[in-house]
Amino acid sequence: MKKQVTLWQDYFKGIWEINPAFKQILGTCPTLAVTATVENGIAMALATTFVLTFSSFIISLMRKLIPSQVRIASYIVVIATFVTIVDLVMKAQFPELSKSLGPFIPLIVVNCIILGRAEAFASKNGPLRSVLDALGNGTGFLIALVALSAIRELFGSRSVLGLQILPDTFEPMIVMILPAGAFITYGLLLGFSNTLAERKKRIAQEELVRKYKPVQKAGSEEIISQEA
Amino acid sequence: MELFIIFISAAVVNNFVLAYFLGICPFIGVSNKLSSASSMGMATTFVMVLTAIVSYLLYNFILVPFGLEFLQIPSFILVIASLVQFVEMVIKKISQPLYRALGIFLPLITTNCAILGLALFISMRDYNFIESVIFGVGAGAGFTLALVIMAGIREELELADVPKGFRGAPITLITAGILALAFMGFAGMI
Amino acid sequence: MKTAIHMIATLLIIGAISGGLLSGISNWADPLIAMNKQKATEEAIFLVQPEGKSYEHLNAPGVEIYKVFDGSNKPIGYSLAYEGNGFQGKIRVMVGLSSDLNKIVSMEVLEQVETPGLGTKVTESHYKDQFKNLVTVPSLNWVKEGTAPKENEVIAITGATISSKAVVAIINDGMTKLRKLQQGGKL
Repeated sequence: MKKQVTLWQDYFKGIWEINPAFKQILGTCPTLAVTATVENGIAMALATTFVLTFSSFIISLMRKLIPSQVRIASYIVVIATFVTIVDLVMKAQFPELSKSLGPFIPLIVVNCIILGRAEAFASKNGPLRSVLDALGNGTGFLIALVALSAIRELFGSRSVLGLQILPDTFEPMIVMILPAGAFITYGLLLGFSNTLAERKKRIAQEELVRKYKPVQKAGSEEIISQEA
Repeated sequence: MELFIIFISAAVVNNFVLAYFLGICPFIGVSNKLSSASSMGMATTFVMVLTAIVSYLLYNFILVPFGLEFLQIPSFILVIASLVQFVEMVIKKISQPLYRALGIFLPLITTNCAILGLALFISMRDYNFIESVIFGVGAGAGFTLALVIMAGIREELELADVPKGFRGAPITLITAGILALAFMGFAGMI
Repeated sequence: MKTAIHMIATLLIIGAISGGLLSGISNWADPLIAMNKQKATEEAIFLVQPEGKSYEHLNAPGVEIYKVFDGSNKPIGYSLAYEGNGFQGKIRVMVGLSSDLNKIVSMEVLEQVETPGLGTKVTESHYKDQFKNLVTVPSLNWVKEGTAPKENEVIAITGATISSKAVVAIINDGMTKLRKLQQGGKL
């Protein structure tokens, strides 16, 4: 029973607690570059999750065989192999999508999320936990990319996933689908998520203070009365 | 003329950081001080020019003749990693002050997607040797420019009263957005 | 020494496995990728020559030109793929031309990286459709909105003047090259 709880945690922590895009601020390049439409955002997140999951699995299996001096080089080769697989498969099966994502599929290889999870988690834990950790981080990345791309596509081209949502009378905010819009939307989302986290922390702290308040109050009154 | 267009395009119109979003990690990480930003920019430019040369030679004289284009990504990234290591060793040998200035930034460059992006663009766009070198110089200049401008702004931003949740990365990104808008003014130069 | 051998052996084994795996996958993917590319080109050729049924790639230096035939194998004109600089980067167009090169059948923008929402309007039909039946002699020209265009003129898009001008310039550039080929009897 207890074990199951940790496994769930391995998965769920990637979604919010250590969300790659909002908490670790890793993988910013694809987050910004491909989020002009929701379709591209989802495709990018799925491709990244695929590479992340398989490389985490392989790296975790080999973690005891690789000498620590060459581990980064070995990880990079493993990751690059899976990235090439994704790149070739996408070019062969989804030429349109591969064209619109451009060089950002090959660039998954330097996405810090993947090397980061390999070094921080997969190199220290078993295959099952590593896969769950990778899937969790992938899901977190997907959520972040969908949020960002939905906002950008909605205001920039009036649609989400190509379906028009806002009426024709709404003048599209072109800045949203420009690079500038990517930076600003991501900055705002990051700022709000930080503010939310800060507030949660403050509320938790106040809760803690309230818990101990009676004791403190009694103490301070005592002091006052003594002074009097 | 064509070479000049490649340079201007890589440096300002299609700036690696502000239009292609390449090299955002160091852009956010190292842009809080002007001095470290310019060192990082120079180190990156240096590695970019070397990468442009090496990846051009690797792609056109080894990968293409032997039909190994599918090994492009692994071989580029390994070449970049060893190149950075090599540059670090050379700089350490020949100049201690330079090593102290650039040394700590070099390992960071390996995971800078701008470098791999540069190598991929060179093979994708079929640049010839001279064009590749110019492209590398332009991309490096553009990266340095964006980084230095950002650092200058961030030094001033330290004094501004930014809401707590927006300090650090969020306000940097928003500032970068405004900077990206400003850089759009360069479009039409080519 | 032992660690060194271990290190090199590990890297070699990983490299060999990765290389083997990738060469297998690339053997499967390469023909598919080539087919996709060919299909995309074919589609574009017939998109600007709606009457076309078959085509032939002409071996001309410096230009990508296809001779297009109709159902009864009669030549009906050419499809020209040409590229040049736009506002932010390269614009690549495909132009369908009549056999004497004096008239455009239709025009399609294949690739562009113009400003979304502004320059990208050159890919929209109300701009592209202006090229239908446009006369190419002496050369194409553009006018501002509100002016009546002549038979060799298109109306530039407000807010995307540079991109609109660029498309016209690219086509003119390609036409000049084609005319030279035509005079040399290479078509």
